[in-house]
Amino acid sequence: MKEITAIIRPKKVGATKTALEQLGFPGLTAVAVLGRGRQRGIASEVNLDLSPELLSQGKSGGMKYIPKRMLTLVVPDDDVDCVMTAIVNINQTAQVGDGKIFVSDVEDAMRVRTGERGEKAII
Amino acid sequence: MKMIRAIVRPEAADVVAEGLAEAGFFSMTKIPVFGRGKQKGIMVGSVHYDELAKTLLMIVVEDRDQEAVLKLITSKAYTGNFGDGKIFVTSVEKALTVRTGASGL
Repeated sequence: MKEITAIIRPKKVGATKTALEQLGFPGLTAVAVLGRGRQRGIASEVNLDLSPELLSQGKSGGMKYIPKRMLTLVVPDDDVDCVMTAIVNINQTAQVGDGKIFVSDVEDAMRVRTGERGEKAII
Repeated sequence: MKMIRAIVRPEAADVVAEGLAEAGFFSMTKIPVFGRGKQKGIMVGSVHYDELAKTLLMIVVEDRDQEAVLKLITSKAYTGNFGDGKIFVTSVEKALTVRTGASGL
């Protein structure tokens, strides 16, 4: 099993959920998070109009942290690539701030209701 | 790659973030969380607080930067009292940038 952590734009959560549901992964955890990437938080998606005087004083038009949504889902090994492709296809806008996806290994899972272990617990 | 999840005091989160940015680790994610540690929350007078507000900082770095980041977070978030927080490190196999579809950080 692999855990896929995708940090995406809040606006795209609905479309991503629909796409994942069609792939057969209806279960996920979504958390509202704040963050910044390589652009250090000053992203074009929060473009504010500031007068040149303010900008020359070193006041930037950006924000330190940008609100994002973090989706976490655990999928069987074979489905990692198709889930990642689906998330990338839905979330690409060609603007910086589309987000990142991280994949890490999950050793075990357990369904609380029945006590099933391993892959049975996540399907 | 390693994912570093640091649970620190909310007031220390910005200090840690600035320190990391100075050291060249700009990318991070900040999540407000609630939790308790070994001390089972906190007792103030006769009132027991079970869950305390903390901030979770999530950073993914290359393996070689792991120790530097850990040292930085521990030095910036340190007060010497209970409740300074914990850091967890897990391995990340793959990272993908959504905009370009390129793998890597």
